[in-house]
Amino acid sequence: MDFSLSNEQRSWQMIARKFAEEEIKPITLKLDEAPDAHGTFDWGIVEKGSKLGFRTMAVAKEYGGEGTDYVTQALVMAELARGDSSISKTFSQNWKWSHLIQQACNEEQKERFLRPFVADHRFLLGKGITEPTAGSDNRLPPKDAPKAGLKLRAERKGDEWILNGEKCFIANAPVGKLFFIDARTDPNAPLRQGTTMFLVPSDTPGFRIGKVFNKSGWRFYRNGEMIFENARVPHANVVGNVNTSDMKTAQAGDRTGGDLFGDLELAANALGVCDDACEQAMKHAKTAKQGGQLLIEQQHIALKLNKMNMLTEALRSYVMRIAWEHDHKVHSANAGLAMNFSTDVIQEVTEINLDIHGGAGGSEAARHAEKLVRDSFIWSHLAGDSVQRLKVAQRLARMTAPGH
Amino acid sequence: MYSLHLSAEQIEFRDTVRSFVDDEIKPVVLNANRLDIGDRALPKDVLDKASQMGLRTLALAEELGGVGADALTCCIVTEELAAGDAGIATVLAETSALGLALFGAMTNAQRDAFLPAFLEDDRYHLAYASHEPDTDTALGIDYHRTTGTAHRVRTKAERNGDSFVVSGVKDAVVNAGVAKLFAVEVDTGKGIGVLLIPAGTRGLTVNENAEPRWYHGSCGEIILQNCTVPADSLLQGSANLRGEPGRGAPLAQAINLGIGRAAYEAALDYARLRVQGGRPIVEHQAIGGKLAEVAVRLEMSRNAVWQAAWASDHPAAQADRSLPNLPLTAMAQVFASEAIYRAVKDAAECFGAMGVMRDMPLQKYISDARICLYSGDGNSDLKLRIAEQLSGHRRAPLLAAE
Repeated sequence: MDFSLSNEQRSWQMIARKFAEEEIKPITLKLDEAPDAHGTFDWGIVEKGSKLGFRTMAVAKEYGGEGTDYVTQALVMAELARGDSSISKTFSQNWKWSHLIQQACNEEQKERFLRPFVADHRFLLGKGITEPTAGSDNRLPPKDAPKAGLKLRAERKGDEWILNGEKCFIANAPVGKLFFIDARTDPNAPLRQGTTMFLVPSDTPGFRIGKVFNKSGWRFYRNGEMIFENARVPHANVVGNVNTSDMKTAQAGDRTGGDLFGDLELAANALGVCDDACEQAMKHAKTAKQGGQLLIEQQHIALKLNKMNMLTEALRSYVMRIAWEHDHKVHSANAGLAMNFSTDVIQEVTEINLDIHGGAGGSEAARHAEKLVRDSFIWSHLAGDSVQRLKVAQRLARMTAPGH
Repeated sequence: MYSLHLSAEQIEFRDTVRSFVDDEIKPVVLNANRLDIGDRALPKDVLDKASQMGLRTLALAEELGGVGADALTCCIVTEELAAGDAGIATVLAETSALGLALFGAMTNAQRDAFLPAFLEDDRYHLAYASHEPDTDTALGIDYHRTTGTAHRVRTKAERNGDSFVVSGVKDAVVNAGVAKLFAVEVDTGKGIGVLLIPAGTRGLTVNENAEPRWYHGSCGEIILQNCTVPADSLLQGSANLRGEPGRGAPLAQAINLGIGRAAYEAALDYARLRVQGGRPIVEHQAIGGKLAEVAVRLEMSRNAVWQAAWASDHPAAQADRSLPNLPLTAMAQVFASEAIYRAVKDAAECFGAMGVMRDMPLQKYISDARICLYSGDGNSDLKLRIAEQLSGHRRAPLLAAE
């Protein structure tokens, strides 16, 4: 057992910590409090972070990226999330999909898409899966309803595919330049056998962004509808073979993309928020007074500080272990479990922080504490809902022999 | 005898208010703008209609012109209103409860001065101003001790002939923006008392937007600068105006129930309609089990709230040990607010991503339920106050000016 970081990992961690402290923290509350969904984003911070390598962390050096390992990605994720978990997510969403490009795309596609991605500080990636009538069905396709799942239709016309339908709740949709899109290419086959993944640039004819969603938390992170009206995508943009969408992620370990950083990403992001909450709570407990004495002098406050730190350190151990396992190609259900666990931890820790701040109040510290609680709700829908937990249980069941 | 067999009148009240909520409140509040937690505008004409139904004067004694409803009935009505909108419910519950307390405590002359207008004017609301900015009202370090840091009133009322001249600032005043009469805690020099000050009195300024969004309904600060009121505006017998600590009518808790019920009903409706996995999601164990937990939390909370309401209607039941001699309202507050917060979060989870969208109701229910965790000085502080009562520690009443 060796928990020490390499000089390079340590260096990335310090650069990210400085960036979060000096660049993210000063703007996060103001963006969070912007009244409409369009005022919460800032290209400036994306460009500044991109120049430091935060956008291209997961792209191999041979394509001009930073080529960092998973431990570094987890460390940077947590540090950026200490500043704002929706800004960190805007960066890490690109890591997730650059992992996928490198894992699933052919050499021609990697050259065609990774080069411009690396070169442009405003080039963001996304992936469209969810549709109005297909959320859980895409993640956990029901055996007894083979037609369930996404409906976006893609039909071959010569060298092109014609896409029709819509996607909703798609991260980075309003700001992304390139998207992975899952579309039904065989409407009569079950989801896993009838779906193909396409690379769809934002300027594809017939493709546009619809409504931009206004979320209660994670307000920096853009989320929108995608509308496909006879959108024309070249056959050269098909990822892998037709009707094998999910097999590309399956090659990397599991069918969920969990081994491609997705699950670790959310757990590491939660860790950064918990670090922020613990720091804010301790600072408040050591400066705010009640009855003429510091809050920390009171047992019920001290017990809360104990609990939030206990949970946060347990999460840190789990996150770093999984990052190490990913780097050593150890494939397990742990990333999924840690992602589920991070949901419970981030919500409890941010609620304790708000509690220590007295719950109410217009001070910057109290508003910040309230923001963290709102941000934490996103985990209920991304990382810790019952579908995400069932999926991990299925994987655990697959890993054990029948009867064991 | 402790009975939850509601009277025909109580059931009729509930059904009437439920229809009112469905027909008049929900269509107004369930739209994208009103669901944004930054928007606190109160629909005034809905409040007018509620007043015309008697909901503003619900608790006021019948002989004074009110409906004379007991605490349990008020809780039932308040829950129904809050299932439509926590803000509307809060305004009406506060005015109704203060109507009972203030007009009950007034002299005949004071009633003559204020009661006719209160009965006649649908927009005549009441507010009680106690808290002051930067004051430490938590029990905290004073738990089981009296270190002299407890509640002090800095707002001064100086006697000047037949008048009091009042100066000071009050914040976190519920109903500040809609009240036509304020009951203000002041230091008269002879002790702490409550002065009746009508809105519009020279020297009284209401600042409705002073508070962060941690309240239901209308809330704000009032600034008193040499505000002069007649000396007979001092309320007599005000020491028990708000009831014994932790034992009053659990109206805030009834509001909490209404918020929880709105979230639960929305989730149940959606779970019956939304099809994933080849069937309505309510037919999946994961969602069914979750909804069952939500319903259990809500129903057990309602038991706690109704028991506290019944106890406040029947003080003899605690005196003769039929019910434990405990601050049941404070206990219902702690239990219900924690159980319902959890329930509302679980209800929101059933909606997937829609549970966090600002133009959808669930995120507002979560925000509304979170406010309930922090009413007063919050649950952590309330637990200390309950613990003091468990161990028999008695605190002196705060008010003693008359």
